[in-house]
Amino acid sequence: MNIQKTAAEETLGFMLPTRRVESFHYTDLRANLKSLGEQAARPEDDATRTMGDSFPRLASDACVLHFYDGHGFERNETLPEGVMVSRDLPDALSADGGADDTIPQINSKITTAGVSIAVAKGKEVTQTIGLAHAHTGAAESIASTRFSITAAEGSTSRFIERQMGRSDANHMTSSAVSLNVQQGAKVEYFIVQQAGVGATHLARLNVTLAQDADLSIFVLNAGGKLVRQEVKIAVNGENANLAIRGVNLVGDNAHIDVTTVLEHNVPHTNAEELFRNVVAGDGHGVFQGQIKVAQPAQKTDAQMACNTLLLTDEGDFSAKPELEIFADDVICAHGATVTDIDDEHMFYMQARGIDQKTARGLLIKAFVDEVVEELEAGEELEEAFTGIIDDWLDANI
Amino acid sequence: MPAVQETIDAVAEIDVDKYKYGFATEIESEKAPKGLNEDIIRFISAKKEEPEWMLNWRLEAFERWKQMDEPSWARVDYPKIDFQDIYYYAAPKNFEDGPKSLDEVDPELLRTYEKLGIPLKEQEILAGVRRPGEPSPLDDEASDNVYSSGRVAVDAVFDSVSVVTTFKDELAKAGVIFCSISEAIREHPELVQKYLASVVPVTDNYYATLNSAVFTDGSFVYVPEGVRCPMELSTYFRINEINTGQFERTLIIAEKGSYVSYLEGCTAPQRDENQLHAAVVELVAMEDAEIKYSTVQNWYPGDETGKGGIYNFVTKRGDCRGDNSKISWTQVETGSAITWKYPSCILRGDNSQGEFYSIAVSNGAQQVDSGTKMIHLGKNTKSRIISKGISAGRSSNTYRGQVSAHKKAADARNFTQCDSLLIGDQCGAHTVPYIEAKNSTAQFEHEATTSKISDDQLFYCLQRGIPEEEAIALIVNGFVKEVIQALPMEFAVEAQKLISISLEGSVG
Repeated sequence: MNIQKTAAEETLGFMLPTRRVESFHYTDLRANLKSLGEQAARPEDDATRTMGDSFPRLASDACVLHFYDGHGFERNETLPEGVMVSRDLPDALSADGGADDTIPQINSKITTAGVSIAVAKGKEVTQTIGLAHAHTGAAESIASTRFSITAAEGSTSRFIERQMGRSDANHMTSSAVSLNVQQGAKVEYFIVQQAGVGATHLARLNVTLAQDADLSIFVLNAGGKLVRQEVKIAVNGENANLAIRGVNLVGDNAHIDVTTVLEHNVPHTNAEELFRNVVAGDGHGVFQGQIKVAQPAQKTDAQMACNTLLLTDEGDFSAKPELEIFADDVICAHGATVTDIDDEHMFYMQARGIDQKTARGLLIKAFVDEVVEELEAGEELEEAFTGIIDDWLDANI
Repeated sequence: MPAVQETIDAVAEIDVDKYKYGFATEIESEKAPKGLNEDIIRFISAKKEEPEWMLNWRLEAFERWKQMDEPSWARVDYPKIDFQDIYYYAAPKNFEDGPKSLDEVDPELLRTYEKLGIPLKEQEILAGVRRPGEPSPLDDEASDNVYSSGRVAVDAVFDSVSVVTTFKDELAKAGVIFCSISEAIREHPELVQKYLASVVPVTDNYYATLNSAVFTDGSFVYVPEGVRCPMELSTYFRINEINTGQFERTLIIAEKGSYVSYLEGCTAPQRDENQLHAAVVELVAMEDAEIKYSTVQNWYPGDETGKGGIYNFVTKRGDCRGDNSKISWTQVETGSAITWKYPSCILRGDNSQGEFYSIAVSNGAQQVDSGTKMIHLGKNTKSRIISKGISAGRSSNTYRGQVSAHKKAADARNFTQCDSLLIGDQCGAHTVPYIEAKNSTAQFEHEATTSKISDDQLFYCLQRGIPEEEAIALIVNGFVKEVIQALPMEFAVEAQKLISISLEGSVG
């Protein structure tokens, strides 16, 4: 069968997945990404910088690497001791998974900027490392980056990848990150997505975990028009410990898809996954979570939960929590719920004189704030995250 | 702790050669030539003395089928099927004119039923076949206790044709039509035309379309308004001939306020070749009606190396068309080399309910990809899914289920629980649920767990002097209890027996 290629497919040189591709079952990329647009020029004036700086900082002590419209800028950052940064564009993420790896493939075609970061062996880096992306979001523009991060043996570090923008014009952003957590290293990786409502944001985080590694991931989606954030983790070392948490705030007109794949390849590893989603207006929320346990991965303990508040009949939410298990001595479970706010909770609040709108707001806030509390990321960051959530709730509920 | 050594050894020992129903019956049969083309379809239609509209319907389906592709999304792996290498029609020769009395029934076939150990008093039931209209001692006895339980009307389908339907007269007294679908096409064309393919459209999927073109027999049930079907209805399917496909079509209609419980059982002889079974089952429940559909599927699963066995590609769907209607699917799946089966409910009527209870046991090299779909369209609709998968040997067992609430399905509720139990470390258990909510008042809950038999439970039993094998059997029985309870009593006994045969060695 000969299908007419879209402009986007002509540019990329490969076909984009439709809903027939299982991993894109709820996000029809082919229909939603008809053309790609032009690479955004390197912004020479201060407008973009000012726009980026207008977003409140998350961590006051952070060392931030700045990217404006997909171009790297040096602003005389002082790197923390034990952190090395190379400004050469890192290699593209491996993409041998066919259509499942469409997003790394797209990223490899359009990315011109990125850095490699290495945290030295045994170093405990207390200063947060920020990867800040500000997007002017000119109509039909592209801004894309790629990172490679290696946390060497026994090191401790924290990263925040942040996407910021206010444009409602149709534009595209992309991020691809490979994160290599070596033996005994401890990493926190937070993704804060606050792109403009016109943004198509396609992102992938690839992770490998070595023995005794400890990784905490947090994904906060509070912007964008069409967002696909993929997280793919290979647990390759025994006693590795992993937590993925997320809050997806799906606004009117937005389509937000978080797809995670966890591959347990060795015995004795733990994983915990928790996502809380709120869908407002006619937003479309998607969560696909796959836990794969290979035959040698005995004693795996993997738990996944995905809870959603669907606030309107115009919006929808689709969840596909998958288990694929080839080892017999494991404990794996997933739970998924979709519902509106419990009437009894509302009654409890209203009986205490809280008006309906406030009560609803409080309950929604409590529902998602719980995830932030679990991060144990320190008061400053937790407040920063709940602040972003509050702003979103005020604007959308 | 991984599975204990004894269990592993025991699993290794079992080969599916213990398949108890693996005999072939030597009955002279009449077959259409191998292959699939318009002539074969005309041949089948002519054999069934079908009216013109039915033939055209089949031919249209065939045209559509030729343009379709075989689905590949399921987690099953098998060599490409050569659809031209299958006999699409085989009938036991002696029954070409339909059985008039048991004396005319080939004794070989009777022995088949004996070997099958068809649940209940099937032997007596089959012995009850008599010349139409002729009074029989059973009649009087029956008329006294039409509503007594414990009797089942059986429609037996052998390869491609329905060989015998029992208790027809008695059912007719209650107004229930229970006959083979071929007979229904001849005798009740208005009902068939109205409801056939109204739940599973002709072009629904590859196998359903194939079935529409070549289906050879199956059961037809019509329960009129307000009637509670006086007995359990049952169909027994058996594929006997070598290289034959069985394509049955079942259509059950429950009119307003009626109730019917239907049981289905399947077996096939042991053969090295793979055989194809592609059935379509359609249920229609009108206002306040209830249909309970139970299946014990025990097609030949192939040997321990995965050679032979039935490919079971089945489309089963129920339509809760009226308000307050209810459809309940219960299945015990122990057989087939490959199972591809998703009994579903379309909850169209307000307050309608759908249920799905399933036990899927896989052993040897079996591959199961099964589950359900609950499509909530009406207001205040409820569904409940309980799925228990048990994998042993080198098998692969996948639950694939969809729960969706349409925009207008206010207050839809679903509860799903799917648990998998792994016995041995060479098998796989997978869970692929699709949860889609488009209404804010919908409440969906999904839970899934995968584990092996817990050491604590096993220790508790062992400590009380229960031998290990027995303890495992006990725990497995407990694991599937919720589903077994949903089966009609007579089937529950057989189902428990089947599960223990399927897991023989690994669960004692």
